[in-house]
Amino acid sequence: MPHPTISVCEGYFPEEPVAPVVVTSSPGPKLKKAADALNKVFDSRAAYFVADYAKSQGNYIVDVDGNSYLDVYAQIASIPLGYNNPKLVEVAKSDKMTSAIINRPALGNFPGADTEEIIAELLKVAPKGQDKVWSGLSGADANELAFKAAFMWYQSKKRGYSSGFSTEETESVMKNQAPGSPELAIMSFERAFHGRLFASASTTCSKPIHKLDLPSFNWPKAEFPSYKYPLEANVAANQEEDRRCLAIVENLLKTWAVPIAAVLIEPIQSEGGDNHASNEFFQGLRDVTLKYGSLLIVDEVQTGVGATGTFWAHEHFNMSPPPDMVTFSKKFQSAGYYFHDPEIIPNQPYRQFNTWCGDPARMILAGAIGKEVVDKDLAKQAARVGNYLYPKLEALAGKYPAYMADLRGKNRATFIAWSFKDASLRNKFLADMKTVGINVGGCAEDSVRLRPTLVFEEKHADILVAGIEKILSSY
Amino acid sequence: MLSARFSRVSPTLAAFRTVSKTKQAKSATAGAIAYRKGIRYNSTAALYYPNEPKKPQAVTDSIPGPVSVELNEVLGEVFDNRASYFVTDYDNSIGNYISDKDGNQLLDVYCQISSIPLGYNNPELFKTAQSKEMASALINRPALACFPPAEYANILKEGILAAAPPGTDKVWTALSGSCANETAYKAAFMYLAAKKRGSLDFSDEELTSVMNNEAPGSPETVILSFDKGFHGRLFGSLSTTRSKALHKLDIPAFKWPKAPFPALKYPLNEHSRENAEEEARCLAEFEEIICQYPPHTIAAIIVEPVQSEGGDNHASSVFFQGLRDITIKYDILMIVDEVQTGVGASGKFWAHEHWNLTTPPDMVTFSKKFQAAGFYYSNPNLQPKQAYRQFNTWCGDPSKALIARTIYQEVVKNDLVTKTASVGDYLYKELDSLFKRHPGKAKNLRGEDYGTFIAFDCANPTKRNEFLLRMRGAGINIGGCGDFSVRLRPTLVFEKSHAAVLLSAMETTLQEL
Repeated sequence: MPHPTISVCEGYFPEEPVAPVVVTSSPGPKLKKAADALNKVFDSRAAYFVADYAKSQGNYIVDVDGNSYLDVYAQIASIPLGYNNPKLVEVAKSDKMTSAIINRPALGNFPGADTEEIIAELLKVAPKGQDKVWSGLSGADANELAFKAAFMWYQSKKRGYSSGFSTEETESVMKNQAPGSPELAIMSFERAFHGRLFASASTTCSKPIHKLDLPSFNWPKAEFPSYKYPLEANVAANQEEDRRCLAIVENLLKTWAVPIAAVLIEPIQSEGGDNHASNEFFQGLRDVTLKYGSLLIVDEVQTGVGATGTFWAHEHFNMSPPPDMVTFSKKFQSAGYYFHDPEIIPNQPYRQFNTWCGDPARMILAGAIGKEVVDKDLAKQAARVGNYLYPKLEALAGKYPAYMADLRGKNRATFIAWSFKDASLRNKFLADMKTVGINVGGCAEDSVRLRPTLVFEEKHADILVAGIEKILSSY
Repeated sequence: MLSARFSRVSPTLAAFRTVSKTKQAKSATAGAIAYRKGIRYNSTAALYYPNEPKKPQAVTDSIPGPVSVELNEVLGEVFDNRASYFVTDYDNSIGNYISDKDGNQLLDVYCQISSIPLGYNNPELFKTAQSKEMASALINRPALACFPPAEYANILKEGILAAAPPGTDKVWTALSGSCANETAYKAAFMYLAAKKRGSLDFSDEELTSVMNNEAPGSPETVILSFDKGFHGRLFGSLSTTRSKALHKLDIPAFKWPKAPFPALKYPLNEHSRENAEEEARCLAEFEEIICQYPPHTIAAIIVEPVQSEGGDNHASSVFFQGLRDITIKYDILMIVDEVQTGVGASGKFWAHEHWNLTTPPDMVTFSKKFQAAGFYYSNPNLQPKQAYRQFNTWCGDPSKALIARTIYQEVVKNDLVTKTASVGDYLYKELDSLFKRHPGKAKNLRGEDYGTFIAFDCANPTKRNEFLLRMRGAGINIGGCGDFSVRLRPTLVFEKSHAAVLLSAMETTLQEL
């Protein structure tokens, strides 16, 4: 760093706004027009606003009316280093990137000369215990690829890794029938979110609206602990809750009608309400999956890449042995899963396969993001800023208990959330925060989640806290 | 496995070995001459690629060369590359020619499994990739449905939507062919349920049961696909894929129905009656399967204009019109999967335009050559009534929408669909006469009047694989499909001169077989 008084964020963004600017009420006149135009051809009813990305800088997102918001939602937790990060601009303009974009390879058939190097960058930040990766395109895709790996692994354990398929299998599979297309399951948890394609939606249990009217696999869900807050005051009750939930997991592993090839879990259930669980719960889960011969897949799509204070959130748990697969997407821009057991690679080529097998353009970006996070120690910085922010929020929660219940995410850097009494109050709060120039998102029905970038610093935290106080004090 | 076969020295390799790589690095003058020639001969390839090789170039005795083999071994430690043909040097690939890391340059008629539209290192795509807009799209990737960029509507209108198949005017973007098909299935399932539900809201029973993955909230509705169809490899799409056991083994699947796809006899003009009967049989069986399901159980059918992975199986316009009529009769949606057939290669921008359907399909999915993915539609009810149902974090990728826009504009500007149709006509006729000169070695030539989307069969899988391998030895990168077919999937700037190179290599190879 050139000068000790310049923060990482200031180093990246010397021109970052010093405060939000609100020039119109939301939605402004230009925004309405732009949203209508888009909605005619592309369903944009979920639009918060139409953004001007060229003008957005660092932690600030600008809309078409010129409002500049401090962004603690960051594209649903997927902007790692701030808008228009200069290091990423360099990467985007590099020859390597240009080639990746205009010569997009079928990576499984025609890997490029630089593929190994690109993957090596991803592996430099692999979770502890993982040394291989398979690439996908989104969080849902990453999870489903991991499911496929788990199912092929499970059957190969039964069949023998190097054994061939029976005629019965190869014939029945073409009719979508067992034994070729076996009855196997992935176990997930209540309130979990793992994506919205058909198998991932079958493991998603967050909200009905995510799943309604879609056929699904009849796969089991266990219960995820529901802790009482503050944690320090409810130790015994929460330990009991861990035991209760682990017993449910074990019972399902023993009794579910079809074998459970893998158990899938988020380190913090994010869409489902930022639900946390203890190290003991996760170690218990690791133990019980080993006992019953199921794989453990940790879904780090939202939690990964620094925001919890470690590069991967499950590293907080010190699970031993490490999980079998770890999926990623969002902030990493690329997607896929890390793993280590060579037998998680199917016994024949073309089984875990598709045209593109990932996207080198996104993988190059992921490598660059990983490198910045490591070089600038941004996970540690997020932890520092989180430790600065959390007590301030705690103080606010003490002052406005009716609007800030169950504050959670202590020692999880900026991965912080709290709850309102109900959905309508929460939604009002999210809308009102726009009037003070802060873009913030919700999760579950009644919670607020903070998902800022990794260059969100103390000065941004101060603006956020002041904004929250301004709104809550008006209630 | 494949790479092991490649490491054998090809007998024909010496035949195409030419003097030097220095030749490729021709002077700027040569480039300028080629450019003028390009204009004179109406060659888009010459305009784009003044330095494109005139024929394959070999620098090592085998393909892949030693450098490529070594790189592949290192890569294999961390990434499953057992399907790798060779390690590619994309910087040294140009236009229709793909280069391995050893510097061998092959004429590419496989093109990343049919997904390179305008050739390698296309200068117009290069400009787009280097633009400010692209940099922003890459590094400020939006959650598109929540925070769309101001310019997204125009990017769509000038690109993906300008290319919309007749009868469609909206698009939902996704990330891959599988993802495009699955989002189309989701639209179909939600549409069907909404129709049944009418003006009613979700019932409590639906809201509760869906959280247990049970009916009625998670209903037992289905998508019907066709025997030998390929629609992707995620769980919903894989349930509709019926190409090969290896694509599906060990993966749980939905118990969805499949109908037969016509197996036509070639040459078509000698088998008109039998083929008409075969299509009538398939349509009758299709209708019979539909009748086995209670009404409003089959949300949609999905069909490819040409079943590509499954062996390049064609059917006539009559068959597809028949499918359209029956789907309308039973109130079932029709999804046309143009992932491999779309974007010009068939001699129409969208292959299903060959059919002249009386009612357009309800949804058309795309990916591959368009680089962007998604589905087109027109019925506003295919957008679920509530927001956040057809939804995910990214809802597509603006960087790919930018590339798709340039692809579309270049295709139009250079009239590449018409040109592909005419190159295809030439190629088809030449292949026809080539195969007649070598009877018994290649048969069932198909894809007449279908651009360069041409395929043929070898006697059996072993012969097919040998043919592919020998072609590679002769400097042609070429792919198979089905069990014993060869498919041609060149770029849209594959011209008569390239076809001549391909034909001459095929002539030699067939002689040797």
